[in-house]
Amino acid sequence: MAANGMLEFQTPGMNGYAVKYSPFFDDRIAVATSQNFGLVGNGRLYICKMGMNGIEAEKWFDTQDALYDVAWSEIHENQAVVASGDGSVKLFDINLNEFPIQAWQEHRREVYSVAWNLVAKDTFASSSWDGTIKIWNPHRPASVLTLPTHSCTYSTAWSPHSPSVISSVTSDSHLRVFDLRTPASSSNHLVHLVPVHGVAPRTNGVPGAEMYSSQPSECLSHDWNKYRPETIATAGVDTIIRTFDLRNAMGGPLAQLAGHDYAVRKVAWSPHLSDILLSASYDMTCRVWSDGSKTQPVGQPNAMVAQGREIGRMSRHTEFCTGIDWCLFGSEGWCASVSWDKKLLVWDVRAIMRQ
Amino acid sequence: MSSPAQKRLGQVSGHLGGKVSGRDAILQKNPDDVVVTACLRTAFTKGGKGGFKDTAGADLLVGALKSLIERSKIDPGLVEDIAVGNVLAPGGGATEFRAAALVAGFPVSTALKSLNRQCSSGLQACVDIANAISAGMIEIGVGAGVESMSSQYGPDAVTEFSELLESHPEAKNCKVSMGLLSEQMAKDRKVSRKDQDAFAASSYQKALRAQEDGLFDEEIAPLTVKYENPKTDNWEEITVSKDDGVRPGITAESLGKIKPAFAKDGSIHAGNASQISDGAAAVLLMKRSTAERLGQTILGKYVAASVAGVAPLLMGVGPWAAIPKVFEQAGINKDDVDIYEINEAFASQCLWCSNNLGLDPEKINPKGGAIAFGHPLGATGARQVSTLLYELRRRGEKVGVTSMCVGTGMGMAAIWVAE
Repeated sequence: MAANGMLEFQTPGMNGYAVKYSPFFDDRIAVATSQNFGLVGNGRLYICKMGMNGIEAEKWFDTQDALYDVAWSEIHENQAVVASGDGSVKLFDINLNEFPIQAWQEHRREVYSVAWNLVAKDTFASSSWDGTIKIWNPHRPASVLTLPTHSCTYSTAWSPHSPSVISSVTSDSHLRVFDLRTPASSSNHLVHLVPVHGVAPRTNGVPGAEMYSSQPSECLSHDWNKYRPETIATAGVDTIIRTFDLRNAMGGPLAQLAGHDYAVRKVAWSPHLSDILLSASYDMTCRVWSDGSKTQPVGQPNAMVAQGREIGRMSRHTEFCTGIDWCLFGSEGWCASVSWDKKLLVWDVRAIMRQ
Repeated sequence: MSSPAQKRLGQVSGHLGGKVSGRDAILQKNPDDVVVTACLRTAFTKGGKGGFKDTAGADLLVGALKSLIERSKIDPGLVEDIAVGNVLAPGGGATEFRAAALVAGFPVSTALKSLNRQCSSGLQACVDIANAISAGMIEIGVGAGVESMSSQYGPDAVTEFSELLESHPEAKNCKVSMGLLSEQMAKDRKVSRKDQDAFAASSYQKALRAQEDGLFDEEIAPLTVKYENPKTDNWEEITVSKDDGVRPGITAESLGKIKPAFAKDGSIHAGNASQISDGAAAVLLMKRSTAERLGQTILGKYVAASVAGVAPLLMGVGPWAAIPKVFEQAGINKDDVDIYEINEAFASQCLWCSNNLGLDPEKINPKGGAIAFGHPLGATGARQVSTLLYELRRRGEKVGVTSMCVGTGMGMAAIWVAE
């Protein structure tokens, strides 16, 4: 155990890319890792267990190519799906050894994100640098649906409130929301296309139109708020975390959280508190934020962009921070983070909050 | 950049730009940039009397495309599409340009289209190809432009307006001749004859100096054609490698003596308007990753383009409308730009646009423009890419804008970065 009640687990030779708490067991964590910073070499999925002796690797699975993301099955407590650099998506069962129970090779470039549907639990999704999101059923040999984003897609996520709403953020600086209930058409179920950097400033003198706009930049991560069904946080290369209300998506961000010095690699809303989120950044810090929604009304027609507040910072990683996740169980503040420094850290957000 | 590891590194290193914006952002090199690996033009010669007066437009295009293949050493079979801007040819020149591509050495598998957005056709051709590459429709393409004003300039170029079009007050303005409406615009916007002549004389002087210093040599691909010598009536074979509109001894004072062409009390004349010319230009475009894989020399990259509509009678203000729009898209401002290539359709409109955008006159058309060496309508937009990129490279500068006004009331602008 490290200082400050922080738990530490090393992944020798393997740089961390993603971390996820099991939705079934409070002591189980999956970590996706890669050799050589994910540029070349193998990947490894660690299944870690927390116990009296700290964190131990219960099992691991090696893969041919780098692993960039992992998502636990929501229906089967022993299964998790991984996103691989070779374009494959693999489903592992931790009761078995060595090999995945299913592997799908459809993406034409690196798969960077996987997400399990929280409502329709027989469904998960993957997104890739090939400019697509693919939707899968663990029992089917081929993808169920392919949604084009036409842009390197760094992150995909399901709405926690709907079985059929899925979103993505991409290198083209846009947040896309797809609703699979819409009829098949040339729009490919796309219902929102939100420029994360804001609408272009207008020359015809609309006052305030330029207020929200900044430069387009690659968007790397996003997450749905667990309590406000229309709220999504996005983050990426321009270092700013933004929250959007899909009911007025083109009205610009609800809140802008500025502070990271380099790109933000991952954002995650708290499962317990509606205004709190965590971020992991290339600036080697993980930060805790309040989006300001508890203290000021948001979405008012004349409201300024809420400036949320950084309420804590965890600086114990010594390389790029790539993954972060909240523990769903117990007291509301435990989280896990991974980094290229080959460490999984499990820590309590409340211990690093500013008084 | 061929190994997967290097591609991954390229992708991920883009994340570390931090708070990059504006000029720094467009200077970044990313694998999915659309880059120019070769660009050139024929010389521009005077309509009706210059070296290309007896050369068909399609033959000029053959010359430009052939030179592009030779210079870039690209395998023509890898080029998937060619877009050719042209204004005057019947049917847009679609048939003879496809034939020209075959003559130039492209295989039947290389597609071709012609397009017409009036004086910006050559730029539109480059932008269409760049967009098709960005969208993944094609991997490698050529944006080109050509015009033989010697053979195709005249009243036939515009279809008679129907009663319906004539009945609409703004619509009928679309056919007002360029000279007349520019005269009116110069009057309304108070661009004086003196200022126009000074601007035009400076265009001639800059072009002459550039020609003497050999600054057009890189962009011009010499072309050998048949030419009927008017003195001897004999057919000769000549090689044209210089713009023949550029001439010495032109000053604001000498231009001041020319009679106005469109109105007695007017200010526009042959010396302060663009010349009627023949010529062609071509630009080879592909993704940076493709260029690196093929070992192509990267001359610059395409960043963004805009098109804007203005009132038909004020078509000359087009660049004034289009340039701020493209700045918005790219997130830069006028001071981030090192060179502006703004087509000199008329000294009056070019001057008005640059004054009203607050541009530094030193940055505008440093090698002169259409007043000095001509404006073969469909070719100009593609010509500007060569003129701009070679000059930026020569000076060690980076960011350039090409822009022009467009007949019937439009403007177009594009941002390019030299590398």
